[in-house]
Amino acid sequence: MKNSITTRLIVLLTLALAVIMGGGMLLDYRLSRQELLTRLNEEALVEIGVAVSDMENWLNGIEATTGLLGRILEQQEYSHEGLQQMLRDVVVNNDEIFGAAIAVNSKFTEDARGFAPYYYVDNGTVSYADLAGAGADYQKQPWYSTPIAAGKALWTEPYFDTGGGEVNMTTFAVPVYRIDDKGNRVAYAVVTADVALTDLQRVAGQLHLGESSYSLLFSKEGLMMNTRSQSRVMKHYSEISYRGVDLDRWHQMFSQALRGEPSTYDFPCPESEGHCTIRLGRLKTTGWPIGLVYNQQEVLSPLHQYQVKTFILGAVTLLLMAITVYLLISRLTRPLQQLSIATEHMARGEMDVALPQARGKDEVSRLVRSFNSMNKDLKAYIGDLETATANRSRLEGELTAARDIQMSMLPGSGEALWQQNGIDLWAKVRPAKTVGGDLYTYFQSDTHLFVAVGDVSDKGVPAALFMARAISLIQQLAGTATPPDKAMAELNNALERDNHSCMFVTLFLGVLNISSGQMRFASAGHTAPSLLRASEVVTVAQETGPALGLAEDQVYPINVLQLLKGDRLAVYTDGIDEAFNDKKEMYGVDRFNRELQACGELPVKDAGLLLFNSVDMHTGDLPQSDDITLLLLQYPSTTKQIENQSFQLGTGLTGRVQAWLEATLEQWKVAPESIMEFDLVAEEIVTNVQKYAGLEAGELLGLTVTVTAGSLALEARDQGKPFNPFEDGHRSELGADIDSAEIGGLGVHLITQLTDRQSYRRENGYNILRVEKGITGSGTEPPA
Amino acid sequence: MDLTTTVAIDEENSVARVALAGALNTDTAPAFELRLQDVVAAGHELTVLDMKDLDYISSAGLRVIFKAAKQTKSSGRKLAAANRKPHIDKVFEILKALPDMAVFANDQELDDYLDTMQRKAKGE
Repeated sequence: MKNSITTRLIVLLTLALAVIMGGGMLLDYRLSRQELLTRLNEEALVEIGVAVSDMENWLNGIEATTGLLGRILEQQEYSHEGLQQMLRDVVVNNDEIFGAAIAVNSKFTEDARGFAPYYYVDNGTVSYADLAGAGADYQKQPWYSTPIAAGKALWTEPYFDTGGGEVNMTTFAVPVYRIDDKGNRVAYAVVTADVALTDLQRVAGQLHLGESSYSLLFSKEGLMMNTRSQSRVMKHYSEISYRGVDLDRWHQMFSQALRGEPSTYDFPCPESEGHCTIRLGRLKTTGWPIGLVYNQQEVLSPLHQYQVKTFILGAVTLLLMAITVYLLISRLTRPLQQLSIATEHMARGEMDVALPQARGKDEVSRLVRSFNSMNKDLKAYIGDLETATANRSRLEGELTAARDIQMSMLPGSGEALWQQNGIDLWAKVRPAKTVGGDLYTYFQSDTHLFVAVGDVSDKGVPAALFMARAISLIQQLAGTATPPDKAMAELNNALERDNHSCMFVTLFLGVLNISSGQMRFASAGHTAPSLLRASEVVTVAQETGPALGLAEDQVYPINVLQLLKGDRLAVYTDGIDEAFNDKKEMYGVDRFNRELQACGELPVKDAGLLLFNSVDMHTGDLPQSDDITLLLLQYPSTTKQIENQSFQLGTGLTGRVQAWLEATLEQWKVAPESIMEFDLVAEEIVTNVQKYAGLEAGELLGLTVTVTAGSLALEARDQGKPFNPFEDGHRSELGADIDSAEIGGLGVHLITQLTDRQSYRRENGYNILRVEKGITGSGTEPPA
Repeated sequence: MDLTTTVAIDEENSVARVALAGALNTDTAPAFELRLQDVVAAGHELTVLDMKDLDYISSAGLRVIFKAAKQTKSSGRKLAAANRKPHIDKVFEILKALPDMAVFANDQELDDYLDTMQRKAKGE
């Protein structure tokens, strides 16, 4: 499955989608992040602005109320009770004001201590205190002296109010002036409004960004009015060490804030991860530096949430897409997988395997359909093939039966040996295909031997059928005394009748008078027979008529051949002389005659088989192209005498061989001169074997001597190493001067000079050396 | 067939007569070779092989004669054959053996030759 197209598609598609989507989301994130950051920044600024302006409004309200009281006091004279009432109303009606006082310049009061009523909020109720009654002179208090000295309204530095509210507060003090009798402008009173630091802190607390952020508020002198912890309130900023921000930085920022220049400083958060920021500015109303400390992380937390959201969304989308891709691809390629499995089944020959259903018109469906039809075709084809094979074997069986039947029409069923009345006859037919058109037959009636060899045109079944017809007709005629020429004419007419396919047959038809040796024969376009007589072979001259079956009423000339004793007649079909080898060379009549001569001493059967073998050697690996038939007729057969003897190699071999040979030849009444020469030849042959065959003493050498009318032959057989003395043997140069003459190498000269024919062949591991010599005066009768 | 070899030495004329009777073939040649070697080694001016009773000779026999002819010629002496039967002659002819060897058709020719040699030796 690792290499399956489905897995590859899924993995590749998912990867590609992940890359594309990841890229897209990353781009989107970058853009969105920038936007978000800008928005967050703006929001922070707006929030700060709102908080600061709230504070300004709040302080403005206090300033306005106090200022109004001051101006009223400038214009009008009030009774002490009226002033007290007015003050009380101010405190009651303004929640932001902790306490308010009107401190009148003692110059304008009857009482030397002056007059200074003070109302303040004490545990939710408005209490009264007479500041003039207190131990200290109120006119020496900073909230009284500083505004008068400055000549304008101002906020005091924060202080702890003892004797009044007992809280940390800061006071807005407004000096009130009046014109005296002399027209001088003199300080009449100071109107104050106290603001508890806790209230200030509450308002300043609105300024925040994020959970852990806190606001800072300083007096102009640098006292802390609001910070993270109450313990630091009322202390100078320089007394407090902030981790991450050194004092110089504080000084710098503080002075910048006093000048109204906002400043920002980033530092590592002291209590948490990430960076913190201090922003410091100035309240317009009071000139107090106001600031904010916040953790960037918290400000950017929406961004982080967005990041997490984006990541989760991306992961979920990717997962969904992977699942979708998997489902889609699986669905699309399922037929392919099933097809692949089906193919494996089909490869094992299970043609009935179920193929996947093909729906739609896509490539896979088309493939499945093509496959389906291929499977059907293949099934049909295999079925056809099985039928064809069955038909073929049936046909072959029929052909084999036909061959048996055809061969049974021939004497000996295709190969026959007939030996009677001193005559040897051997014949054999070998069709090129299972059945063929060649035929032979013979029939003896009293004193005559009837012989026929024929060749139907073409080969195979048509030829075989025509051959069957021809041989039936021939065998009918064989028993009659019709001479061959007349018989041939009758056969021709019989075969010509209704021969619409224009098949024809060449035929040799001969009748031998057994006692006289006279053979009368007629030929219907048949190859002329060859005659072996006295070791010489000639092609018999013949007059021939047309092939049988082509035209009616033909005349066939009669030929007469007088056979002599020892003659051998070979009648054959053109399958022999027209056998081709792979070089397109014909076997030829000459070659046939030579081979016939070479095996002339062998019995007809051996000679015939050798001739067949020779033709096979010629054609080599090529299939037999035409039917082959050969008929050998030996007349008469009893002229040959043969003797075999085996000799052990070793000392006295020549003597033993010669003793046997002389005795044999003398018995056969061979002329003494010939005996002596054959003795010499035999000695040279056996000496050669002893010397060169590489055999041990005691191994056997076989000798065969045969004598026929006019011919003496000696054949030596040994199992030594292949050695052809006529080619491999050493021959000395004859007639050389004695100085240069070689000693030895003479034997082969003697053999070739003293015999007429010599041959060597290697057969089944034997060296076979054969020599022949024409003789006269042997025991056989001279030719008649 | 066996071979009988008779050697007659005519010291006066330095002639060795080697008479062969029977068959000189592969079987008999080795023994004959030894015998002939002895005769040739004795250093007679003329060695005559009398083949009057030799019925058979094969190439093995001829080889022995060849060898002896070479030896005598190289030492300036002579080897001659006498009384060859027709079929022995035929073998010699087939092999064109020893064309320059003196051949005496019969005893008379041989005797005449010996006489001539004697006279030559006596300076007549």
